[in-house]
Amino acid sequence: MPESTYLLNPFIPSIVASIVGAVLLGFIGLRTNKSPILLFVAGAISGAIGANLFTAPLNYCMFQADQSNDDVIVGWILVALGATLLIWIVSVVAQRYVKGLPLFPRGEYVAGAFQGRHALLNALLVLSPTLLILIFFVYIPFFDTFRLSTFLARFGTPRTAFICVDNFSRLLSDEAYHMNLYLSFVFSAFIILFTMSTALLIAVMANQPIKGAKIYRTLLIWPYAVSPIVAGSIFQLMLSQESGVINQFITTFGFEKVSWLTTVTPARFSVIVASVWNIIGFNILFYIAGLQNVPKDVLEAASIDGANAWQRFWRITFPLLSPFTFFLVVTNTVYAFFDTFGLIFVLTRGGPTESTFTAMYRIYVQGILGNDIGKSTAQSLVLFLIVIGITIFQFRFANRNVHYGN
Amino acid sequence: MKRFAVVFVLLAVLVAAFPVTSQEECTAESPCELTTWIAFSDHRLDWAVDTANRFNELYPEYNVTVISVADYDTIVNNYTLAREEGDYPEIVQLFDAALQFAIDSDWFDYAADIVGDREEVLGQPVNFDDIIPVIANYYTVEGRWAGVAWNTSTPIMYYNMDLLGEVGITEAPETWGDVLAACEALQPLVDAGELSACASWPFSAWFIEQWTAQHGEFMVNNGNGRDERATESVIADNNAFREIAQFYRDLYENDYFIYEGLDNWGPTTQNFATQAVAIHMSSSAGARGITEQAAEAGFNLLTAPMVYNEEYGWNGNILGGATMWVSNGLSEEVRDGAMAFLLFFSNTENSASWHNASGYVPVRQSSIELLQSLEEDNGIAWDIPSASRVDLPEGDYYEQNPNFLTASIQLGNSPVNNATLGSTYGTFQQARPIYNGAIEEYMLNGGDLDAIVEAADAAMTEQLQEYNFLFAD
Repeated sequence: MPESTYLLNPFIPSIVASIVGAVLLGFIGLRTNKSPILLFVAGAISGAIGANLFTAPLNYCMFQADQSNDDVIVGWILVALGATLLIWIVSVVAQRYVKGLPLFPRGEYVAGAFQGRHALLNALLVLSPTLLILIFFVYIPFFDTFRLSTFLARFGTPRTAFICVDNFSRLLSDEAYHMNLYLSFVFSAFIILFTMSTALLIAVMANQPIKGAKIYRTLLIWPYAVSPIVAGSIFQLMLSQESGVINQFITTFGFEKVSWLTTVTPARFSVIVASVWNIIGFNILFYIAGLQNVPKDVLEAASIDGANAWQRFWRITFPLLSPFTFFLVVTNTVYAFFDTFGLIFVLTRGGPTESTFTAMYRIYVQGILGNDIGKSTAQSLVLFLIVIGITIFQFRFANRNVHYGN
Repeated sequence: MKRFAVVFVLLAVLVAAFPVTSQEECTAESPCELTTWIAFSDHRLDWAVDTANRFNELYPEYNVTVISVADYDTIVNNYTLAREEGDYPEIVQLFDAALQFAIDSDWFDYAADIVGDREEVLGQPVNFDDIIPVIANYYTVEGRWAGVAWNTSTPIMYYNMDLLGEVGITEAPETWGDVLAACEALQPLVDAGELSACASWPFSAWFIEQWTAQHGEFMVNNGNGRDERATESVIADNNAFREIAQFYRDLYENDYFIYEGLDNWGPTTQNFATQAVAIHMSSSAGARGITEQAAEAGFNLLTAPMVYNEEYGWNGNILGGATMWVSNGLSEEVRDGAMAFLLFFSNTENSASWHNASGYVPVRQSSIELLQSLEEDNGIAWDIPSASRVDLPEGDYYEQNPNFLTASIQLGNSPVNNATLGSTYGTFQQARPIYNGAIEEYMLNGGDLDAIVEAADAAMTEQLQEYNFLFAD
């Protein structure tokens, strides 16, 4: 540990994390009465190591005396993240241990086509094109993001400056950023809700035995083939205050023109509607596929038993669609948080008065347009953690409510 | 083992297929490549490709390839990455806001250093004094000619004189006060439903910079970053920024101005072309398109210099647009070829043709003179549909097209000083959304102008100091 005076001694978070780890794992041991002491120790060690997982590589800079209180808070968050990660991994192993399973899954999965002496080598050879692309274009940039987020950095500068967790801690007191995050959440909620309810409605209609159903279905999927930038341009033309077709349309019915893109509420509404339009084809596609897999005999049986159309849909079809619904919630979440910035760029540039400035759009503006790489990578990590958190929550929820047939 | 041998052989073949070559000399048999990145993709790209081909015919030992890169911002980003990869174009178009980047990066050879004391490069005359002073000075760094001017523009007014004439206005409004008065006069037409509003123009940071220069004020300290490296924003220290905010507020509050969103250019031009508004402001580079649209709609178009704040007088305008830079690290032969191409690209004739093709101002005085006394078979005009050069009518081009002269007059009359040279600082492009957003906020919501300006000023200074920290010697 470096010689330096600390605002908070790095031992303290380690001790706290190891106590938490010990209690949690010790609890598993006590409950099942299987070597509680061993689990207690494992929990303490994993907590202690986890606490240092992210802070040690940064040399505990965030706890040093010249840092602000916000930096210490970020330090605690890093300690919590590292400890949670490691304690979770160890607890998964511990759960297997108390159930008497081998500690690491082995031979539980069905062996594939690769067997024999060079099985692993052959498998890797076949996988290598994909793996190489993933390593160079996903994993290396991903880990580089961690590094860059602790720097004051721009492309093309002769040097960079290590600034510890400043890029993160400044976000704690940045009210504009809190607003960006809030908007991301609100937009995502509306986008997911509108997209999925409308898509389900349309899919049910398109799934009726009508003439030309196949053509309808194909046409309904088309918007998904349009990139967000192009979708934005289309909506921009339609929503223009003076020359837009939407305002032309509503004025023929005697309504006032609406400033769709330059007043706060209509601009937010426009961004949400354009995003929904862009992703809805994808949702319809999956729901139609799902609807075609709903067994007809079950529905017929329900019919004979006197269930009306609404009951059949709500009690049979909708629960049977739950795997599709779950999948779509997850992908739509990712879309709403990460992929709508291009559309916002074209449609509103985050305006008016930053009322459509989402967290992802800020990353784009600051990182790509502003070349402020350090700050934008820090923000992208924050957003990444948030979306991971939401996804974990969704999976937990799904475990209880999604039915996969068998 | 056999399988691995096959893979190894395949890899070897792949490597052999892409040999690493190094060229010693430029000859007609194996010409030296001069890759040129520009930010245009429309008929302006066609013009550039055509002109490059003309150069290639004259100089078979070189091969200029013009490549279209999405936009100005993307060029800067892509060039930065290309430099870090070590495989970069010989010539690149950089916009005005990237000037400090071009200086700080140390990736370019300045034109003055390539030319030296030669009067021509590979037969292409230099004739630096022929370049219009405010343009030449913009791209002069530490007394040395740095980038070669190509596409230069300036904001100008576009008036629908038929609509203005209906309310008795026959002269083009010159000042902010004139615009507000014209808008008041036009209000009966708006009330009658004949007009949607008085004015509509893009809400662009560029206009804020221009108006600041007109006030004779700076955006950043140290002489707008021209005397020494700028270290902080000064928008809160002078009245220009507050005046601009108030002008927008006056326009907006009175419903004179149709606001189409931040940096949203297309719909505002549309508003003017469809006669929904009578007053428009845009880049002089839009002159050709707007003239054609006005002719199609059948109204009388008049262009005029950008309006100014009468309380502060007119201190001149800044140029806008972009300029061509030669990458450093090239062999002398390639470097001279690049310079010869750029001199050819912006010579008297080509600069005149470029003006006709795009609406950007001719960067040379001699080009203006050429356009004023055109002869037969001049091959100056650019025909967009056929993407080829055709003849302009004989005689004085500007007499036939008075709307095209406005930009040249505005730039020609602009005195050269640190305000009209425009600011240069490392975070120019990054700062634009800050002050554009600040003015937008005040225009839409009013409120405490001082607080808004102070906040924008502080944000700009913080960014700039971080940038400087990374570049400081």
